[in-house]
Amino acid sequence: MKIKAQGIIILFLFFTLAFFSCSSKEKGLSSQESRLEIAVIPKGTTHEFWKSIHAGAARASKELGVKVLWKGPQKEDDRAQQITVVEDFISRGVDGIVLAPLDDRALWRPVRDAVQENIPVVIIDSALQGDDFVSFVATDNYKGGELAAGKIGELLQGKGNIFLIRYQVGSASTTKREKGFLDVIQREYPKISLLVQDQHAGSTTETAYQLAENLLNRFPDVNGIFCPNESSTFGTLRALQEAGLAGKVIFIGFDSSPKLVQGLRDGHIHGLVLQDPVKMGYLGVRQLVLHLQGEKIDKRIDTGVCLITRENMDDPEMKSLLMPDLT
Amino acid sequence: MKEKSRIQTVINWLGPFLGLILVMVIFSSIPEVRDRFLRVPNLKSVATQSVIVALGAMGMTLIIISGGIDLSAASNIALSSVITAFAINAGFPPLLAIFLGVITGGLIGLANGSLITSLRLVPFIVTLGMLGIARGIAKWTAGNQKIDAPLTWVNELMAKSPRPSWLLMAPGVWMMIIFAVVMAVVLRYSVFGRHIFAIGSNEATARLCGIRIKRTKIIVYSLAGLFCGLGGVMEFSRLTVGDPTVAVGLELDIIAAVVIGGGSLSGGSGSILGSMIGVFIMSFLRNGCTMMGWPNYIQEIIIGAIIVVAVALDQIRHRKNF
Amino acid sequence: MEGVSKRFGATCALDNVDLELQKGEVHALLGENGAGKSTLVKILSGAVRPDSGTIFLEGYPFSPSSPLDSRKHGISMIYQELNLAPHLTVEENIMLGREMHRGGFIRQKEMRNKVRKALELIRHTEISPDLQVKKLSVGARQVVEIARALVEEAKILVLDEPTSSLSQEDSEILFQIIKRLKTQGVSIIYISHFLEEVQKVADRLTVLRDGKKIHSGNTIEVSLEDLIQMMVGRKLVDMFPKIPHETGDVVLCLDGLKGKRMQAEVDLSLRHGEILGLAGLIGAGRTETLRTIFGLDAVEKGSLTVRKIRTSKGAPWTRIRQGMGFLSEDRQNEGLASSLSTVDNLTLSNFSPYRSFGFLRLKKRRKAVRDYIKQVNIKVQDSNQPVFSLSGGNQQKVALARLLHQKADIFLLDEPTRGIDVISKSQIYEWMGQLASNGKAIVFVSSYLPELLGICDKIAVFYRGRLVDMRPTCEWDAQSIMTAATLGRPG
Repeated sequence: MKIKAQGIIILFLFFTLAFFSCSSKEKGLSSQESRLEIAVIPKGTTHEFWKSIHAGAARASKELGVKVLWKGPQKEDDRAQQITVVEDFISRGVDGIVLAPLDDRALWRPVRDAVQENIPVVIIDSALQGDDFVSFVATDNYKGGELAAGKIGELLQGKGNIFLIRYQVGSASTTKREKGFLDVIQREYPKISLLVQDQHAGSTTETAYQLAENLLNRFPDVNGIFCPNESSTFGTLRALQEAGLAGKVIFIGFDSSPKLVQGLRDGHIHGLVLQDPVKMGYLGVRQLVLHLQGEKIDKRIDTGVCLITRENMDDPEMKSLLMPDLT
Repeated sequence: MKEKSRIQTVINWLGPFLGLILVMVIFSSIPEVRDRFLRVPNLKSVATQSVIVALGAMGMTLIIISGGIDLSAASNIALSSVITAFAINAGFPPLLAIFLGVITGGLIGLANGSLITSLRLVPFIVTLGMLGIARGIAKWTAGNQKIDAPLTWVNELMAKSPRPSWLLMAPGVWMMIIFAVVMAVVLRYSVFGRHIFAIGSNEATARLCGIRIKRTKIIVYSLAGLFCGLGGVMEFSRLTVGDPTVAVGLELDIIAAVVIGGGSLSGGSGSILGSMIGVFIMSFLRNGCTMMGWPNYIQEIIIGAIIVVAVALDQIRHRKNF
Repeated sequence: MEGVSKRFGATCALDNVDLELQKGEVHALLGENGAGKSTLVKILSGAVRPDSGTIFLEGYPFSPSSPLDSRKHGISMIYQELNLAPHLTVEENIMLGREMHRGGFIRQKEMRNKVRKALELIRHTEISPDLQVKKLSVGARQVVEIARALVEEAKILVLDEPTSSLSQEDSEILFQIIKRLKTQGVSIIYISHFLEEVQKVADRLTVLRDGKKIHSGNTIEVSLEDLIQMMVGRKLVDMFPKIPHETGDVVLCLDGLKGKRMQAEVDLSLRHGEILGLAGLIGAGRTETLRTIFGLDAVEKGSLTVRKIRTSKGAPWTRIRQGMGFLSEDRQNEGLASSLSTVDNLTLSNFSPYRSFGFLRLKKRRKAVRDYIKQVNIKVQDSNQPVFSLSGGNQQKVALARLLHQKADIFLLDEPTRGIDVISKSQIYEWMGQLASNGKAIVFVSSYLPELLGICDKIAVFYRGRLVDMRPTCEWDAQSIMTAATLGRPG
């Protein structure tokens, strides 16, 4: 019995060792070439949005001949762990970092540390305080929120009851979208009243689903809903479908995924504000490489937003945004 | 027989060290990061990254030795970090803010201990409840968003390059080391420490021998709470914001560290040194995997496997004694 | 059963015992604790295999391989502690492990019929098969147990101390059931310490003592007195060293004390230099009394006076400060922390000599422990070894040494000699005598009469929770103690 158990453990250790050494050999070869190493650190790794960013970064890596290390915080949306990831890449001595900061403040110090170690940082997606980074590549989120508000106002003909389902505390990009949305509603559609505007959907589809379900139970007479990111949009879509309200409530979401595209096609979603994450990932890496090659680059780059509806969803341009080529 | 038991002791001592050495040897032999992994700045950053889990693990070690468990540790850390940020934001002097943060942690621990002993509930249930309560209070205090507190010297506690520079490491790391030594000595050489072991080994015997079980347990949980509070202060220092959603699931890392270090969930065994080694095994693994740019799932699988292996080793150690 | 023997290590649990059970009779099995009754029954049920001897069931040789096997052959056991799953219903409990099914699905109707039939057989149809067992009274649960035994069409039913947890009325119900079963042709082996009960229900009886059959015959042919004589009648070997000791002032006094788990109030007093024995059957309330004195159980009524100071409320740690020491009957689960070292176990109740500023002076402690190990003669290689590596006798000595180390004056010893070898036993007796001669007071709970008679100054006998009588040892003999313990009246 003893021997057996010990044997198993020794075998296990052996296999881990073998695994490590194999993978290290593989990587060892590639590290002999003197390619630039660029770490790309997203906020998480499971959302469609980040997969698109990854695709863009990978495309840039192929085109520019740099090596991209893709690594998010171990737990989605954990600020402390994102700091750890940045620190570890500093320790590794990468040539540059592309970072989507989970927090505009908490990530400020690690970025400063990187710059002190002569590692330039490009910020993508969400803003960061200070100006230690070399460039900020992002969607104009405020404008995205404005677009969504305009569409809702138009579809409701300027009156009705709506929800604003917020994403998560402290997320700068979504906060801006929410602000853009609120500003337009309050400025241009005084007859639209916000039933809910300070509830947070949380980081997962599940939490968003629960929140939306509860809200719909409480306010079944809602006319319109806006969600500021993919997970909250999908969670709310599910809740609407379950409640049999899908299609009856004007629903504008943010970002895309196959399920959301289907929702749009079925008429359950009336509009999606789209960013161009592939472009963002691509430009993030490219800006950094240009900087490393000594070229002067812009401090702020807008990757653009557009509103997509059932009518224009099959335009080729829109289609590539809706279903980006992730290869 | 005697010879055997000596070998046994050596294995018992080396067991957790072996894991740590193995992890370090593996990473320092991978060519890609070899020259970087064992460099001082990296070691410093691993040490800094370990502080919060290590502080939590010190308290957790006491609790687990006494035969209990604390699932609320991570929520407690989040709450304490929010309270600290809140206090600094409200214009309190930093030292007072730190004090408030630590005390908050202690109070949560005190509540845990009192509920467990007075209601005679299982620690798992009480602390599971407290996990939600503390997290909820944290979000409530923070108004459901992060608290941006002005930068003070509190944020230097976890800075990688400390001021003054003769400190070499972040003050938080020094605190971790000092507390680890103090707790190890207390656990091994103090009456209180012996009482904790006795309660975890056999509560009925401890009662019979006149050990004041309720009092001891309340002290254990409060002490663990204070450590979580300090961990919370460190979390705030590191984040520079008070974030009520931070450290979700961290309690499992803390428990895993204690278990890897030889703590038995049925009580009566465990050590501070072992737990600290457990903490560092996980930190180095995470650090190494990140430096390699490996996806998260690999590191999750490895850490999971290490927990199982560590516990299996522990079982074998115990089985051999029969 | 013919010529059945069973040895456990060095002790001979059963020595060539015969037992004849006729169809439709109630046969009582009598004897002291450890006389071999339960071993005999276990062999019949297949839980233990005999070393020699054969069992004949309805004329054919029968050797049950497991409890399940013997149950299939119609032998059912009902143990002292009830074995029911409290959250399941009566029906589920009765049919547990023999659910009738077709392709994994329960056949509700047929099962219900069977349960009805079993309950009818014992005329207890008032118990609804759908009721959860935890909602039933203890007596009703016993009925369910019997019904469970009967669905299998039991030929032989073994009842092990069935009334020990029942009230008077519930016992009466049980006797009724037994009578009915008899008329159905079921044979019953009835084990009980309560002799009057035995006289009431049993047709025949067999007395065992030290693994040997002493007597077998019809119940009406033997008197109570003879029975008791047969059960205890052994010569007391001189393993009880007489150490002269004098009794002094009263040190502990119980005044109508009743603890949470005690069934009645108890008055008792103990003097310096006195060894007081508590006799009685298992479950008679002796352990509960000790635990209440030591503060392990809460006091409900009455008071406790230690050295003329009334202290009814108290926890173990306050009692230890008052100089009490308690030795638990359950060494494994309560007496010792088995994963801790001998040093820790020995000193756990008193760290004060080695304490400085909250820290322990380990070297000083080890040295002191070495003296105690020598004094009590514990065989241990390394005092840092965990106690579970020691033998039973040595473990008990560690537990006793703890009380010495604690410098207790009042020793509450609950079955200190249970399950240890003869040499260790006699060492413990000697040591108790020495303690008494040094003026310590000892309360000594034992179920083994010879040792009570051998070393106590006074003996108090408990019966069903109450103290029947307390007299100096010279006024007791084995017979009168047994009478008091089994009949509840001074013999």
